[in-house]
Amino acid sequence: MPQVIIDGQTYEFEGKHKLLQFIQDLGKEVPFFCYHPSMTAPANCRQCMVKVGQFVKDRETGEYELDDDGEKTIRWFPKLQTSCNIDVADDMIVHTQETDALVRRAQKDNLELILINHPLDCPICDQAGECPLQIQTYKYGPEGSRFEVKKVHKPKRVTLGPRVVLDAERCINCTRCTRFTEQISKTHQLTITSRGDKNYPTTAPGREFDDPYSLNTVDICPVGALTSADFRFRARVWEMNQTPSIDITNGKGCNIDLWTRDNIILRITPRYNGEVNDHWMPDDGREAYKIFNENRISRPLQKLDGEQILSSWNNSIATFIEQIEVRDKKEILFIGSPHASVEENYSLQQFANLIGINEVVFTNHIESGKGDGFLLTDDLAPNATGCRLLGLKEQDQTELKNRVKAATMIVLVSDHFVDRGVLSTTDLDGKYLISFATNHSETTKIADLVIPITTAAEHAASYVNVDGRIQRTIPAKETKYSNRSLNLEMSVSRLDRYGTNFDNWVTEDNKVDCIPLWNFISEVANASGLELSFDDGRSIMNKISDKLKTFENVSHEAMDDQLGIQLSLNPKTETPKVK
Amino acid sequence: MSTVDWKNFEPVLIPDIKDLHKIDVYEKNGGYQALKSILTDKKKWADPKSVVNEVKEANIRGRGGAGFNAGLKWSFMPPADGGARYLACNGDESEPGTFKDRKIFEYNPHLFIEGALIAAYAMEITSIYVYIRGEYLPYIKMMEKAIEDAYDKGYIGKSIFGSSFNVDFYVHSGAGAYICGEETSMLESLEGKRGYPRVKPPFPAQKGLWGRPTTINNIETLSHVPAVINRGAQWFKNIGAPTHPGPILYGISGHVNKPGVYELPSGIPVIDLINEVAGGIRNGKKLKAVIPGGSSTPILRADQLEGITMDADSLRTVGSMLGTAGMVVMDEDTDMVDVLWRIAHFYHHESCGQCTPCREGTGWLEKVLLKIKNGEGEVRDLDLLLDVTTQMEGRTICALADAAAWPVRFTINRFRDEFEARCKKSVHALA
Amino acid sequence: MTYEFTTEDLKEIEKIKSRYPEVKPATLPVLWIAQNRFGHVDPDVQKLVAATLDLPEAHVHGVATFYTQYYKEKKGKYVLDVCTCLSCQLCGGYDMLHYLEEKLGIKTGETSNDGMFTLNQVECLGACGYAPMLQITNDKYVNNLTPEKIDKLVDSLKKGEEPSYEKMEMPLRKNN
Repeated sequence: MPQVIIDGQTYEFEGKHKLLQFIQDLGKEVPFFCYHPSMTAPANCRQCMVKVGQFVKDRETGEYELDDDGEKTIRWFPKLQTSCNIDVADDMIVHTQETDALVRRAQKDNLELILINHPLDCPICDQAGECPLQIQTYKYGPEGSRFEVKKVHKPKRVTLGPRVVLDAERCINCTRCTRFTEQISKTHQLTITSRGDKNYPTTAPGREFDDPYSLNTVDICPVGALTSADFRFRARVWEMNQTPSIDITNGKGCNIDLWTRDNIILRITPRYNGEVNDHWMPDDGREAYKIFNENRISRPLQKLDGEQILSSWNNSIATFIEQIEVRDKKEILFIGSPHASVEENYSLQQFANLIGINEVVFTNHIESGKGDGFLLTDDLAPNATGCRLLGLKEQDQTELKNRVKAATMIVLVSDHFVDRGVLSTTDLDGKYLISFATNHSETTKIADLVIPITTAAEHAASYVNVDGRIQRTIPAKETKYSNRSLNLEMSVSRLDRYGTNFDNWVTEDNKVDCIPLWNFISEVANASGLELSFDDGRSIMNKISDKLKTFENVSHEAMDDQLGIQLSLNPKTETPKVK
Repeated sequence: MSTVDWKNFEPVLIPDIKDLHKIDVYEKNGGYQALKSILTDKKKWADPKSVVNEVKEANIRGRGGAGFNAGLKWSFMPPADGGARYLACNGDESEPGTFKDRKIFEYNPHLFIEGALIAAYAMEITSIYVYIRGEYLPYIKMMEKAIEDAYDKGYIGKSIFGSSFNVDFYVHSGAGAYICGEETSMLESLEGKRGYPRVKPPFPAQKGLWGRPTTINNIETLSHVPAVINRGAQWFKNIGAPTHPGPILYGISGHVNKPGVYELPSGIPVIDLINEVAGGIRNGKKLKAVIPGGSSTPILRADQLEGITMDADSLRTVGSMLGTAGMVVMDEDTDMVDVLWRIAHFYHHESCGQCTPCREGTGWLEKVLLKIKNGEGEVRDLDLLLDVTTQMEGRTICALADAAAWPVRFTINRFRDEFEARCKKSVHALA
Repeated sequence: MTYEFTTEDLKEIEKIKSRYPEVKPATLPVLWIAQNRFGHVDPDVQKLVAATLDLPEAHVHGVATFYTQYYKEKKGKYVLDVCTCLSCQLCGGYDMLHYLEEKLGIKTGETSNDGMFTLNQVECLGACGYAPMLQITNDKYVNNLTPEKIDKLVDSLKKGEEPSYEKMEMPLRKNN
C-alpha cells in the first residue's frame, strides 16, 4: 500500500487525498484559511505551507537511491508547498510546522502579512473567540507587528443584504464567500471587486445579497468580515451553550447547532452531516430560533365562559380525562402532526389505541414551489415521513374536514390548522378542541384546552426527513421542570462550568412552563388507571424500535453515533427475491 | 567568450523591407513558405512531431522573460484526443522597459501569424488566440486586419494549403492589467474573468483554456519559428550566444541618446548595446546602472557590466537575468531611491490581490520606500524591506511577488549607501 | 440611467460570442463595446452587459473593476493617461504630469470643470523608448512629450482635433 511520511510518522493510504485534508483527518493540524472541504481549493491564503519531498528512485531498476550514509535520498520541492492543493503521493515526505523551522517561519511570515492590513481590534470584533485568524495568530503568528505605516482603509458596516453585514477591512480575501455563491448556492451574487490590497467581496452595485443561503457565508468567513445582521454583537461565543439539533422548519432535517445563553436561543448554525446538508443550511431555518423564544405558551389554558384563562396542570389533566369520558369514542378525533416528533406522535397513538381509538390522522404541510432541490423542500414539516412510518393515517384537506365534521371532540398536536388554512374556525365551531402546542396561534386561540408542550429545543426526540433519515434533537433550553446540570445530555457552557453565580445569572422567566407531550399523556394515563407510561424520548424510541420493523436499528445512541440513520422506506422493494 | 558579430547582422524578425506588414509584400518575400513546407512537404516534415523536434533543437528560449525552450514546451502537450486544443499567444507586453512585440504587430504581423500557425500544426491546435494588452489599440487593429487578410488568402481556416489542417485565429484584447501577462492569468482573462493566476499543477498543457490542453508562447518567440523551419535549427543556433541563441528584439530606454527597439543577435555586450547601438548616455553623462530585461530583473551597477553580454548565462554571473531584453539605462544623476520606489509602486498597483504575500507585501514595500524617499525612513527600515522580500519570494501562486521582491532586494543591496544616506539618523538614542 | 446597445452593437456581440466555446469569455470584449458606445461602464452599463450576455451582474462587476482601462464612472471627453512608470519617470514623466496639472488646472485623477479633460497617472504603457508619453482615451499614444508638444496637443484637442497615429520608427531601419 502507498505510504506517506508526515513529521517522521509513516501512514498508509488508499485513493486520492489532498494533503491538508489528509493531515486533518489524522487529527493533526496545519493552519489554513481559504481551504474548505466542500469547495475548490484556490490556495490563495498561503497559510498551509509545508515542506514536501519525495524519495528518489532509480527509473530503470526501481531501487531507492541511497546517500553516503545509506539513507534514502530525498528530493525536496524547491519551494514550500500549500498542502491544501497537493495530492498525497507514495513515498512522499512531509514536514509540517511541528518538525520544521522553515515551515514555522513561513507560516509566521504569512500571518504577519495577513495581519498588516487587518484591524487589530479583536476585543471589539464580533468574531472574537471563534475566529480562525485570531486562534491561528495565537498559535503560529508573530509576537508583534513591524508594520508601522498606514493600513488600507475599506468600507465598514456595509449591509450586503437583509441578513449579512460586511466589514471589508477585516476581509483577508480568502474568497470562501464568493466561491460559496458560485459553487454551492449558485446564485453568483458575490464577487471580489477592485484589485490588489484594495479588493474585497461585494454584490453587483445596487443589488442585495439575498441568497436564500446567504448566512452560510458568515459561518465560513474565517474572520469577522461577514457577520449576521441579526446576531452580531448579541453574545460572545464563550457565553453560549452549543447544542446539536435538527432543523424543524422543513422536511430536509438539516443538522444544526442551537446556541443558547440564559435559556434563550440566540442563533442557529449548520452542523456537518455529509448525508444531509454537508456544511450548510438555508437562512429560513435560522429564523426558527424565534419560535423557541417568542410567543410561547407557558402554563395550560382553559376556556371558561368563552374566554381562555390560565389553568393548572392538575386541572388540565382532569379536564382532559373528563372530556374523553363523557363522549362516545367514535366522536373523538386524534390528530397527530408532521411538526411533532416520532416519539410524540407515537405516545399519542398509543394512548388513543389504548382508549379504543384505532386511527390517529395527520395532514402534511406542503407549500409547492418552496423546494429548490438543495436544502429547501416543499414539505414545511420535519416529520411527515415519521408519521407515515408510525402508521398514522394521512388525510388531505377534504378528508380531514369530513373527519372533523363527524367529531365532537378534537385532540390536536402541534399543528396550527387555522393558521395554515387547512381548517376554518367555522369547521371547528361547537367542537371541543384540545390543542397541544408550543406557541400561541389563531388555532390555539379558539381551543377549549391548551396544553403547552416542549419544542425541539427542549426535548430529546426524533424526526424522519423527506429522504427517510431519522435524526434526533438534544435539549438546549431548560423548561420550568428540567435542569441543565441534572440532565446529563444538556450542554454546559464555559460560564456554566466555571462561572460563579455572579457571572452566570439565570432568568427564571426564560424557562417556559411546559412539559413533553409524552409526560402529559403519562400523567393522564396514570390518573385514569391505564397501563401506559412514558419516561423520556430515549425510552420511547427503544419501545418503537422493539415494536416496528422499520425502526429496528434505531436508538438515540445509534443516531448519535451515525449522525442519523437511513430508514428503509419501502422494505419490500429493497430486498429483491433471489431467482 | 567569443564576441558576437552584431555589426553585420541581417535582421530576421523585422527585415528592412518597405510595407512588409502587407500580406502581398510578405508573400513576395517568402512569406507563408514555411507553413506551406510543413503542410505539403511530407518528405521533409513527416508529421507534426518532426516540427516540434526541429523547434526544440533550435532552442528558441522564450522571449517573454522566462527563457524556456519553446519546442520543449510544445512537447509537453498531451496526445491529441479529438477535442479542442489551444494556442494562446501572449502579446500582453506590460513589464516596464518592454516595448518590443508591438514592433512585430506593426512591421511584420504575418511573420508572427505564420509562426503561430506552424506552432498550431505542430501541436495539433484547433484555435489560436492572440492576447494583446488593451492599451495597444492601434496594434490590435493592425493584427485584426492581418488575420483577416490571412483568412482571405486561406492561410487560416479550413484545409490550409489543401491539407487536413484547420485552425481558427482570434484577437482578444486585454483591458489594463499587468498580471495578465502571467500565462495562467492570461488564460483566466481570455475566459472572461478577473485575471487571477491559476495554481499549478495542473499545468496549461494538461488543463488550460476551458480545461483543454493549451500552450502559451510569447509573440517574439513564435515569430522566430518560420525562419527556423525555413533555414533549420542549426542556422538559428549559430546566431548569438550558444546557450541562448537567435536574434533578440532589444528595447532600450532611459538615459540613452537613441532609445528604441533593435533587432540584434543575443549575447551582445551590454556596454556595446548602450554605447554603440543606443548612442551612449545622454548629455555626456556617465552610466550609473542598468536594468537589463524589464523592471523585475535585478539592477546592475555600471562597474558590474565589464564583459557581460545579453544572454541568460552571462547575466547570471553578475546576479541578473535577460528577462524580456527591455533594457533601462540610468545615468549618474539618477536617484535610486526614487527609481526603486517607483518600481515598487508599479508592482503594488498591479498585484492582483489573490494571494496573501503579494497582495500585502507589495503595498508594504511601497509604503516603506515612500517613507524613505520622503526622508522619514530609518536604516532599520532597509533591513525590514529585505526581510519582507524573503517573506514574499517563492511563497505565492505566480511570480509577481518575486518580480516585486527582487528589485527591492537587489537595488538596496547594490546601492545601500545611497539608501542609507536618505534615512534619518536613528530616533533611538544610543546612550 | 438605462442604456441600450444598438443593433450593430448586438450584431458585433454575436460575432464575438462565436469566437469562444462559451459566453463568459465575451465579457471583456463586450465591456469594450459598451465603453466605446457609452464612454464608460458605470454600474448601469455593467447591468446591461450582464443582461445582454445572460451572465451574473456580480461577475461583470468583478471583471469591470479588475481592469483599469474600463471607466467605472463618467470621464472627461479626453482622458489623458500620463505614464510615470520607470522609463518615463527617468525621462521626465512626472514633470509632464505636473505641467498638465498646472495647464489644465486640475489634479491627477480629476476632470476639468468643462468636462473636457480627465488627467490620470498610469503604469507602463509599453512605449518606454519614447518616454515620456501619454495616451489619449485608451487610444492614441503621444510620444516624446515636451511642454511645447503638450501645449499643441491640448490646443488641438480643445478644437476637437485628435492627433493621428504616431509611428515610432526602429532606428536601424531605412525603409520606415
